[in-house]
Amino acid sequence: MSDMSDDDLVEDVEDEDDYVEDDDDTDLNFTDVVAEKDRKKSYEVDFIVHSIQGIVKNQDDEVTHVSNILGIQKQHAATLLRHFRWNKERLIEQYMDNATDVLNKAGVITDNARTPKFIKVPGFMCEICCDDDENLNTLALSCGHRFCRNCYEHYLTQKIKEEGESRRILCMANDCNVIVDEKTVELVVNKDIHERYRTLLNRTYVDDNEYLRWCPAPSCEYAVECHVPHTSLISIVPTVECHCTHRFCFGCGFPDHQPSICVLVKKWIKKCEDDSETANWISAHTKECGKCHSTIEKNGGCNHMTCRKCKYEFCWVCMGPWSEHGTSWYNCNRYDEKTSIDARDQQAKSRASLERYLHYYNRFANHEQSAKLDRELYNKTEKKMEEMQQTSDLSWIEVQFLKKAVDILVQCRMTLKWTYAFAFYLARNNQTDIFEDNQRDLEMAVEQLSELLEKPIESDKIAELKQQVLDKTVYVGSRREILLEDTAKGLLESRWEFQVDIKS
Amino acid sequence: MSGICKSRLMEERRQWRKDHPYGFYARPVKNENGLDLLTWQVGIPGKKGTPWENGVYKMVMTFPEDYPSKPPKCKFIPALFHPNVYPSGTVCLSILNEEEGWKPAITIKQILLGIQNLLDEPNPDSPAQSDAYMLYKKDRVAYEKRIKQQAKENPA
Repeated sequence: MSDMSDDDLVEDVEDEDDYVEDDDDTDLNFTDVVAEKDRKKSYEVDFIVHSIQGIVKNQDDEVTHVSNILGIQKQHAATLLRHFRWNKERLIEQYMDNATDVLNKAGVITDNARTPKFIKVPGFMCEICCDDDENLNTLALSCGHRFCRNCYEHYLTQKIKEEGESRRILCMANDCNVIVDEKTVELVVNKDIHERYRTLLNRTYVDDNEYLRWCPAPSCEYAVECHVPHTSLISIVPTVECHCTHRFCFGCGFPDHQPSICVLVKKWIKKCEDDSETANWISAHTKECGKCHSTIEKNGGCNHMTCRKCKYEFCWVCMGPWSEHGTSWYNCNRYDEKTSIDARDQQAKSRASLERYLHYYNRFANHEQSAKLDRELYNKTEKKMEEMQQTSDLSWIEVQFLKKAVDILVQCRMTLKWTYAFAFYLARNNQTDIFEDNQRDLEMAVEQLSELLEKPIESDKIAELKQQVLDKTVYVGSRREILLEDTAKGLLESRWEFQVDIKS
Repeated sequence: MSGICKSRLMEERRQWRKDHPYGFYARPVKNENGLDLLTWQVGIPGKKGTPWENGVYKMVMTFPEDYPSKPPKCKFIPALFHPNVYPSGTVCLSILNEEEGWKPAITIKQILLGIQNLLDEPNPDSPAQSDAYMLYKKDRVAYEKRIKQQAKENPA
């Protein structure tokens, strides 16, 4: 395990190298997707993490490429690429087919003689501010609509700064679709605004590209490239890990939710938001009318109930029909009579689905809660690690196993959590038994590891504890791998049957 | 009021007085200090040959301080029976929406002509009131009858 920590150190150093290299590294090429790890498991996907510099570089390469092929200026190639959402092949194909049409639709005019520049025009009055000063600097895009410099600056600044617009800023004239290209923006606005404009453009490059996604972690500036198309998301959970260590799903941007596929995660979260609290309350406080199954809350009065909807009269205690209660108005001694038992059976059935949901929900919520507590365990662990270094002859590197154990624990809790959402939608067949066995084994192992980590440290038993924790950590990790491996394979082979339509 | 806003509105007023489409009127309201350039009273005539003809529909245009960066608000007073007019009287039109079609170069004349067009050519994709929208969708004859009635209530 101390070896692994060494690896970590080496990786850290490499990361720092990356930072330096990114500035002047010209070899970054997005098309060569290489595996981050050598051995690939069936629940893992290939991906690359890109820095901002890499994104900018790649954007430039694409623009230069298209500009060379089509023989047009770079800023026009860029506008076209953005219009085609960076689908280079489609752009080139359609451009070859009908260049004029493509240029018109994208709002590009390539006439070089009309490249925007500031000029003074005698007798000119700006239609926007109505200024007619003879020293007025004016600018027109290739469409010829001319306005004064101040109005252009005002307009572009507002679009960029307030509306966060970048790739589709149009000429100020009514009904004119010509796009204000990068060069013109640079010509007009001040340095700060231009920087903001570049940032926004970079953002749209990633946003528009199906195979790129920003790392959603707060203030993280990396983007991840992963070539899993949207259509594959029903058979694969593309979990990626950013340089900032945040693990998330490339498909939906949500934190790591293996083994559940995106569509189930979405359904589950929606269901939990809509139902959980309500369902809990209904389950605890209400019963259903034995006849029409309306949900009834008893908020006072005697046990003789009359359903407001269907007028069915029944006893709140035994749920049997009131007609059989005779005159024993305020107490029920018929709890074991057949009719009462039947009524309650009926009730039980309709409650079963609710109970089923709560079963999965409670376990899901429990792991979520525990994962939060485990994060507190981090802080405690850190203290423990210090304590160990002081009370034993273990070095800093040698106590890293504790941190590693907590990392694995938190990760496994995440996985476990999502196994319950997965299980909720799973239709029962022979396969589900294997899944549930795997789930149970992982759950047991996780709880054991959790317990070990909670134990107070006795200085004479540190070596023993270390061995136990190491063993358990490896075991827990392998249980998680087995479970993920099995579910991922099942997804690829369409082995799982779901109770809901995952294609909708 | 910023310099641009004021000079532009003065120029709009000058242009309008010099020349404007037939049947329309548009003027800043008067207040104790003279003219309030940010609030205009306008009238839009219904087009000939449509159920809107012979009516002139009164509207108030309110210009924001950062006009012409931002579009003016156009509100029929009283509120108009029309699928794209909100119950408050505010007009729903793409060129009047700064996130959609508004451009600083759009003139008052263009706005008013745009709204006149909208009268007889409602946009069923963005209904703003249910009464007019439902009637327009379900019973065109009854809808036109109602429009003609409205024209009578708003004589030139």
